Order: sequence, then structure tokens, then C-alpha cells
Amino acid sequence: MIKVRIPTPLRPLTKNQGEVSVVAASIEDLVNQLEAAYPGIKARLCDDKGELRRFINIYVNEEDIRFLKGKDTTLKTGDEVSIVPAIAGGSP
Amino acid sequence: MTEVVIPRPILDDMIAHARELAPHECCGLLAGTEGMVHRLYRIKNIVALEGAHYLSSFDAAKIAHLERLSPAERAEIAFVMDMQDFSLAKKDMRQRGLDLLVVYHSHPHDPARPSGTDIKIATDYEEIWPKINLAVPSYLLISLMNGEPEIKNYWIKSGHVSPAPLVIL
Repeated sequence: MIKVRIPTPLRPLTKNQGEVSVVAASIEDLVNQLEAAYPGIKARLCDDKGELRRFINIYVNEEDIRFLKGKDTTLKTGDEVSIVPAIAGGSP
Repeated sequence: MTEVVIPRPILDDMIAHARELAPHECCGLLAGTEGMVHRLYRIKNIVALEGAHYLSSFDAAKIAHLERLSPAERAEIAFVMDMQDFSLAKKDMRQRGLDLLVVYHSHPHDPARPSGTDIKIATDYEEIWPKINLAVPSYLLISLMNGEPEIKNYWIKSGHVSPAPLVIL
């Protein structure tokens, strides 16, 4: 099982769970597993071509998947995946 | 908490960034060691990108406000960091042995103090920093609402804002 940390903006899709567990062999597989369990989540993470959106990061054990193999990054039991939303803010 | 020391050339670069992007908000990172800033990273504000405002922790009122605006207008009242830029900056910091010290952004039309949105998102982010191996940074605001830029630095912890000591060298 892979533990996946879900950020606050996505929790309405995961029944307010901040952490979910999935069985997945790669990031692409993990996103598809999440989509099967929590429909709508994939479109929030990936664009139409399946590429990670620029306002999100996915870390595997503290390493950004952009510096690993992107969506082809392989996963093994015990890995921790964090979905990290963009740092943001704004004036009143 | 230790003070943050910003050398004048880096401060000037940050102010130039704010002025270049006005009336849009700019955003970026300051990194260094032991409170001394050594490097500035400009990060693109991608709030105008399709769907960007959904995946930050904006509250429903702010999202409704942003949706009434055109994409260009959104950047006047909000920023969303390009997380690809952020990751490249984070990697560069690690290679240079620098720590993230400050997250900065500008308020082109408003005072140099955190908005309700800034406080909410910074508070949401508190639990994320340790997971990505970074200490909680201070938050620096650059206001351009008056002629001279006003710069203030803050700690935002659990929804509470307090001044963070800032020294210009």
C-alpha cells in the first residue's frame, strides 16, 4: 500500500480524508486508482494530456516527481506520496 | 525567532520585480543561511492559468470573487506560484546548501500586511513545509499603494500574524 497525503483543497473529493492508501506501481497508476475511488480528482491533478498541472507538485518521499520520472515514477510499498498545492495568496 | 537580513541589492531586485509586474502581484522566494539572505528566486504568478485558483486553498468567497474577474484582473488581487518554478528553486537551494527563509509577494493596491487569504493559505501550508523538508518561512509583503514601496515581514502561525524582524544590510 502507498500512503497518499491529500491537501485541503482536494479533501471534498476524498470524503474529507487527509490521507488515503492505494495499491499502485507508478504515479500514473496511482492517479488512475485515485480517480477510480474518488471521481474528479484526476482532472484536478493532470491536464488533458495527462501531464501534471503547474499549480501542483507530487512528491514521493520528499522528492518532486518532476526530478524523478514524472508520471512514470515507480512506487513500492511503504512509499509516501504527498500532493502539494501551490503556495498562494492575495490582497483583500 | 531569528531576524531575517536582506542585503540591499537583493531588496532592490525584489522591489524591481514588484514594479515590473504591477498592477499584477509578483511572488518569489528568498533563501540563505542562518537568517542571512543570499539568493532571490522569482516565481511566476500563474493565477490566470485555467483552473489554478481551484487548487490553492482560496476560500469560497475568494474563488467567487476571482471568477467574476478576467484572468488578467485576477493577478491584480491574487497569486498562485508556478510549482514547477518552485521545485527548480528548491532544488537549486539544496544544491547550494541554502534554506528557504522567506516567501514574498506584492500588494500593488493594498497595504503591506497579510490579507485574510494570505493568512488562511499560510496556515494551511504549515503542515506541508515539514513534509517537503523545509522550515516554515516568514512572509514578506511589498506594498506599492503609495509612491515609495513599503516592505514588511511577518510570521503566520496557526492563523496568528506577528511581525518578523527584518534588517536591510
